[in-house]
Amino acid sequence: MIVLKDIHKHYGRVRANDGISLTLEPGHIYALVGENGAGKSTLMRVLAGHTRPTSGQIGINDKTISHLTPKLARKYGVGMLYQDPLDFPAMPIWENFQLGAPKRTKREVIDILGELSYRLDACFLPDETVSSLTVGERQLLELLRLLDLGATTLILDEPTTGITPEQKQDLFNLLMKLAREENHTIILVTHKLSEALEMADSILIMRQGALVSTLTPPYDENELVSLMFGEAAKGVVSELPEIPSPAPPPRLRMNDALFAGPKYSMGSLNFTARPGECIGLAGLDGSGQELFLRGLCGLDRMPGGTLELNGKTFRSNDFNVLRRAGVHFVPADRLGMALFPALSLMEHITLTFPDHNDDLGEFYKSQCVERFNLRADPDTQADELSGGNQQRLLLSLIPDNASLLLMEYPTRGLDAGSSRQVWNHLKDRCAKGASLIFFSPDLDDVLEHSHRIIVFYDRAIAAVVDRKDATMDVIGALMAGKTLAEIKEGQQ
Amino acid sequence: MKRDSFLEQIGWLGAALGLALLLTVLVALPAGAPPFETIYVLFKGGLSSISKIGRVFSVWVPLTLCAVGLLLPFTARLWNIGVEGQVIMGAIFCTAALRPYDEGGMMQIAIAIGAGMLGGALWALLAGLLRVFGRVHEIFSGLGLNFVALGVTLWLIFGPWKRAGVASMSGTQPIDISLWLPKIGKLSVSWIGLALTITAIIAVYFLLHRTKWGLKLRAVGENPKAATLFALGPRRRLLQAFMICGACAGLAGATQVLGVYHRLLPAISSNYGYTALLVGMMASYRLGLVPFICLFFAILNVGSIQLPLQMGLDSSLSGVIQGVMVLSVFIIQGVRMWVREREEVD
Repeated sequence: MIVLKDIHKHYGRVRANDGISLTLEPGHIYALVGENGAGKSTLMRVLAGHTRPTSGQIGINDKTISHLTPKLARKYGVGMLYQDPLDFPAMPIWENFQLGAPKRTKREVIDILGELSYRLDACFLPDETVSSLTVGERQLLELLRLLDLGATTLILDEPTTGITPEQKQDLFNLLMKLAREENHTIILVTHKLSEALEMADSILIMRQGALVSTLTPPYDENELVSLMFGEAAKGVVSELPEIPSPAPPPRLRMNDALFAGPKYSMGSLNFTARPGECIGLAGLDGSGQELFLRGLCGLDRMPGGTLELNGKTFRSNDFNVLRRAGVHFVPADRLGMALFPALSLMEHITLTFPDHNDDLGEFYKSQCVERFNLRADPDTQADELSGGNQQRLLLSLIPDNASLLLMEYPTRGLDAGSSRQVWNHLKDRCAKGASLIFFSPDLDDVLEHSHRIIVFYDRAIAAVVDRKDATMDVIGALMAGKTLAEIKEGQQ
Repeated sequence: MKRDSFLEQIGWLGAALGLALLLTVLVALPAGAPPFETIYVLFKGGLSSISKIGRVFSVWVPLTLCAVGLLLPFTARLWNIGVEGQVIMGAIFCTAALRPYDEGGMMQIAIAIGAGMLGGALWALLAGLLRVFGRVHEIFSGLGLNFVALGVTLWLIFGPWKRAGVASMSGTQPIDISLWLPKIGKLSVSWIGLALTITAIIAVYFLLHRTKWGLKLRAVGENPKAATLFALGPRRRLLQAFMICGACAGLAGATQVLGVYHRLLPAISSNYGYTALLVGMMASYRLGLVPFICLFFAILNVGSIQLPLQMGLDSSLSGVIQGVMVLSVFIIQGVRMWVREREEVD
């Protein structure tokens, strides 16, 4: 049993954790939910010994201490599975499994790995490298490693990002087994309510650094939503815009386009997008959706085929030419690719809108403050902005005449209010005639905000699914490599 | 980000100087040099008479030209280590431009200065092109081009441009006195050199902080990928930064030929390019500090001439002290970061 008592963690004036007390009992599955920035990660880092709390007490195995270190946490059986697996892709599986464990021969390691895998219905080839595994398998390996080290309290940070619905189900079954049969404590950190509702024996809700409530079944979803998001939950997401009929001439037509990225290429792409259409891309990481967007905007090469944009044919995809023709790309990695971290808001505006240099102050007000509700001093540096404000800045930098918007994970790291604002803005642009192509690892987002969904598998387009046919099951099966025909057969 | 108060900054600077002093003492002792006397001799050697101050400024001119030029590529996060070769190329082009003239005046001097700047800029452009189109890191290409430039100088001095009858390390035939930069009174520094340097400082300030070009260059350095997305033409911007820096370095080379040595020598650059890189690092590439640190280094340079004369020490000790200074600044910066991180964590 682990008892956290009045845990405070302050970073300067920011109170990441503000007096949190909770008790974790063995054999229970807890879901820790809250928006980005609610303090979930900080609390879990305190528990895993990576962060030292400002004040507070941790009671563990009948001992009371002021803080844990990673070594102590391991001694007490606390193990954390990070969102991005902390493994070494170039090393073989058995060596990764052995990391941090007492000295053993390879034979012993393989025996133990085999035994654990058998018990938990997994299968690993010890001599393969970790890079040959999928994200889901890597998580599983890491989980086995933690169990081997003696972890009895497992913290999983957003474990379902980047895996298929099927893999998710396997993972949840395994967690269930660990809790029910082996009496482990499981803490699932997530921002997806559906997962919490499905799995948890109790749901811990955090908001603005505080533990606002602990719910036990039966759950009331509305109560949960309002506890989690507060006032922000009350906004409305706008409907997908209607596509005008009869259909206007296509916005984009790809004729046998071939895109070549640094790691792989994708050939014979044929696709047509209409004005006003929102198109979602689905697929596991690295299945081709990234290259699709980067090729369309000209950041990766197009050695073959042609693009037609608003009726004009392009044989090559030069970035600057396409940009002038109305293609606008917004990457997911905001500070790494899209913004200049140490430049101010005003300087970004200056660089983007050279025509407005005489009335910059006025323009800033009308563009950023009034249209996008970006409430920050114009001299603030981009890296000092919150994720939501960075995205607002990026949206405000899209020129009005951009007719084809290409967006990677538009709501990455945003809270509910900001996400809704982003979607509403994008849909508004589509209603005014722009076309949007986006991808998101969050399948719910893709299903909710697309007229059509392109599913990628193994670096090729697996299928294009219409909104009316797109369900979680169909898209998930396509992402995992099934064909449309197989899926239809299975449904009958 | 929290900015330190002025007082705190002064305190850190004091700590850096103290550490430098300590390290200098540690270095000087095993060399058999009484440390404090050595430092005293160094400063006295640089400041004790008007003519020595004149000499200090004749060092300050090329050093500052190189150092302010370097700020531009650094703003784009490029290390133009080839600045040394660009000084040499400036000197070579300057000498070449003067070869047709046996004597002349301001007109010829202006042509020679222009040629020097062109030479430096072209040599820098070469490093820039290798970087932008050949994907050769500018540190490697710059270092390579430095050796090539030195090789070209030696070839010219011992080959096509050798003095009639003799070919020696003492250089080419001296230029006519009418082609020398006019001096201030009896001092060895020229008002033209000083004026050009101050102009360069002001011009770099305006370029970087008052023009859109400077903003774009900063943006390119800050995030080249985003610069592509913003269509800022990052490649063109990088080449321009290289060329302007090269022109400054070439100008420094020209002042060495026209104002100091009056001929082309193998050691025409006096290592000012490398020293300017040290200055830049020590100033953390802040323009305001550059002229002052250059002055300080110039004093050390001139003062070191006294070391062998008065104390029987090698003059390279001043180089050691310069290195130690830069090192101390870095160590203190490291300590400062560490302290700040500690403060933020607790």
